[in-house]
Amino acid sequence: MASLSTSSLSFKAPSIQSTRTSQVLRKPLSFKPISFGCFQSSKNLRLQISCAAKPETVQKVSDIVREQLALSADTALTAESKFSALGADSLDTVEIVMALEEKFNISVEEADAQNITTIQEAADLIEDLAQKKPAA
Amino acid sequence: MVAKCQVISLCRSLLRAGRKYPDYNIREYTKQRTLDGFRMNGNLTDQSKVNEVYAEGKEQLEVVERVLKVYLAYPPKTKNIMELNVQ
Repeated sequence: MASLSTSSLSFKAPSIQSTRTSQVLRKPLSFKPISFGCFQSSKNLRLQISCAAKPETVQKVSDIVREQLALSADTALTAESKFSALGADSLDTVEIVMALEEKFNISVEEADAQNITTIQEAADLIEDLAQKKPAA
Repeated sequence: MVAKCQVISLCRSLLRAGRKYPDYNIREYTKQRTLDGFRMNGNLTDQSKVNEVYAEGKEQLEVVERVLKVYLAYPPKTKNIMELNVQ
């Protein structure tokens, strides 16, 4: 979705448009059903969030989880792994959320923190917060 | 009657408060002590005992916050060696 190449749009779009490949931000033209008017980068990023959190974020989260729960290197950590399935009790979850806060320099609300149960959720929340911060 | 979410909330507040200290030693100590304390009492079944230790935890939270203000008035001038990144 976010990776529409300008070459595929055979409109009057000038081909000079962004040949530099920024894989996140392609200026979509107004033919897209979601028409916000002038597109800014934050809106494009939001499009991407609805797909999935960035893989690097998921990877970083997995690393932190692995470290906190002292998991061996061969335990498979997917984005859908639940913390409880990995042997974490609620205190471990609190620790993990704290470690994530420190690492990504974000502040997780009480209510949000209660709802994190899988790695994917954590990564999504982090991206959400990281986005809102510069916008503030 | 102390609910589980209150306990978790108390733990979180203690950890957050402990993080603000400028002194490395105290930061690490508060973090380790809260985690140890909560884990030690994690399996209590007697509700009155739970209430008791919860109240203790709340007092400690107040202590941490009060002492933080004092320490913030006199931040350490040099970084602790443990905080320096290993080169």
